[in-house]
Amino acid sequence: MCAEELDFVEKYDLLGCIQCGRCTGGCPVALRTDLRVRCFMYDGLNEERLEELSEKPEIWDCTTCYTCAARCPKGLEPLEVLIGLRSLQIEEGKVQPTVRDALESIFKDGNPWGSPRAKRLEWASDLEVEILEPEAEETTDVLLFICCTDCYDPRVMKVAQALVRVLNAAGIDYGLIGDDESCCGSEVRRLGEEGLFEMCDEENVEMLNSFNVNRIVAISPHCYNTLKKEYHGLKVPVLHYTELVAQLLEDGKLEIPKEIAKVVTYHDPCFLGKQNDIYDEPRYIITRIPGVEFKEFDRCRERSLCCEGGGGKMWVESESKEERLAEIRIEDAKEMGAQVVAVACPFCLLTLEDATKVKGVDEEMQVMDILELLAEAL
Amino acid sequence: MNMVVCVKRVPDTADSEVHIDASGKDIDKSRLSFGINEYDNYAVEEAIQIKERLEGNVTVISLGGKESDEVIRMALAKGGDEAIRLEDDAFAGGDALAVAKALAAAIKGLEYDMVFAGSLADDDGYAAVPVALAELLGVPHATYVKKVEILEPGKKAKVGRELEGGLMEVLEIDMPCVLGIQSGINEPRYASFKGIKQAAKKEIALKSAADLGLDASDLGEAGSWAVLEQFTPPVVGEMAEMLEGEPEETAAKLAAILKEKGLV
Repeated sequence: MCAEELDFVEKYDLLGCIQCGRCTGGCPVALRTDLRVRCFMYDGLNEERLEELSEKPEIWDCTTCYTCAARCPKGLEPLEVLIGLRSLQIEEGKVQPTVRDALESIFKDGNPWGSPRAKRLEWASDLEVEILEPEAEETTDVLLFICCTDCYDPRVMKVAQALVRVLNAAGIDYGLIGDDESCCGSEVRRLGEEGLFEMCDEENVEMLNSFNVNRIVAISPHCYNTLKKEYHGLKVPVLHYTELVAQLLEDGKLEIPKEIAKVVTYHDPCFLGKQNDIYDEPRYIITRIPGVEFKEFDRCRERSLCCEGGGGKMWVESESKEERLAEIRIEDAKEMGAQVVAVACPFCLLTLEDATKVKGVDEEMQVMDILELLAEAL
Repeated sequence: MNMVVCVKRVPDTADSEVHIDASGKDIDKSRLSFGINEYDNYAVEEAIQIKERLEGNVTVISLGGKESDEVIRMALAKGGDEAIRLEDDAFAGGDALAVAKALAAAIKGLEYDMVFAGSLADDDGYAAVPVALAELLGVPHATYVKKVEILEPGKKAKVGRELEGGLMEVLEIDMPCVLGIQSGINEPRYASFKGIKQAAKKEIALKSAADLGLDASDLGEAGSWAVLEQFTPPVVGEMAEMLEGEPEETAAKLAAILKEKGLV
């Protein structure tokens, strides 16, 4: 390990921390776990303690939702300290077997779900989609970057299928990468596997740049955030699908003929809202669907409560037995009488849908991606 | 303690569709991903854990082409010290015995107290290499090992073999010895990407049949006792008989059939 990596104080500007505690105060998982991120900002000053700190189980409770960074008056990013500590454990090989398997699966098959690459396109087997050829002469408008979870999870693949229906209805010129598509590495970086993330960055940038397209549209806010803000050298702009679809509606290229007479609320995904300031487009799309009665969560937009699906948490079980944040979210939705909780992220979809089952409200309340809602109204 | 671990690179067929290729003697591997044989992964971990407890040296050996370097490097990243890869056209088409001959020739030239190998290979499933290897080396062996306790480093160990029905057979074994490792003996660690890259700096010694002093006529298909003739898909049996009707009715029919066939 080189000294540069160990220089925590400088890397995370720990001397800039004034120990005000807004990070821990705002941290959603502090509600249910032992994680006190402010303490790590202080204890991390002592480099001799780093190994001991990295062995604390609560560093794996962080969902990297970014609330701590968004609220830090000094502009620091406390969550990054936790990621840095995780990387010490990764280098030692000391990770939960589920994390190990997810990372090995990305290295081997380009997805964290332990599924073969050959099955990456099965979600689209009944659909007519164009697979892009690298270095094609003709420009395709949109390259769709399909998240691994949309490709392999039987529930979430319905979202990718809905996206295809929506784009077909709008007459958009788009194409897919096919089974050469690989994990974006968002969760890889947040699990602390820096080396593997660098590989994802290099290989994906090279592959994405080989296609003759105007723009890349990602389904998952996690892929979107990584492609847009963490990759090096991408030649074309990256959009989240809510940006594209909102534009299509505004330009009158997409008509919504059917009515959905339901009370709908929207859960802001952290990686779309807090981390990329996309708050209006999802609401614009939902409220354009005829018949929808839209209600806001009390905790919405930048105050939205994290669902605990990010930061690699899909592969890390928390030791806490306290109520999950997704369950709190579903209780709030029930109180406001929501029939549909709309989301725009595969992880939010899975965690919130699970929570409706735990809370026994899955008969009366649906968790749907905005795309599914939209496709139903086409 | 000087330890040797044998590893094999195998295709991952767990969730994939497997098709027989045009030769009829292999499966189509073009769409499959590859990795370390699962049982060997446990063998690597066991050797490294013993090294961490008692100090020592771990040599990783694999028989295969250049692509096998990937699994070797993974084992080096986890804590392996040295590596040898056996590559020769003469090794092609060999059965477990022929593979064991090549491994034995390589291991004979090393100082070793324990040789670890996965009990079974995920691809051919022969479960014979550790046993044949021990025989060729003239040392004792144990298979399906689920527990290793070193009683006296370099001299004696106590090993537990997993038997049917949850039974554990406990043996004392003299060193040097060969252990066929059962899955689940430990929790294999993660080899980080950086670790694997750093391991790429370690030399992997290449050995051909000639380097090992072996004659081609004794290797590969020529040196095998079992030769693969053909893969065939299982013959589809006759349709099962579906019993229809109310539960009491179907239960009576089922009882009659079992009685008639003398199965109860």
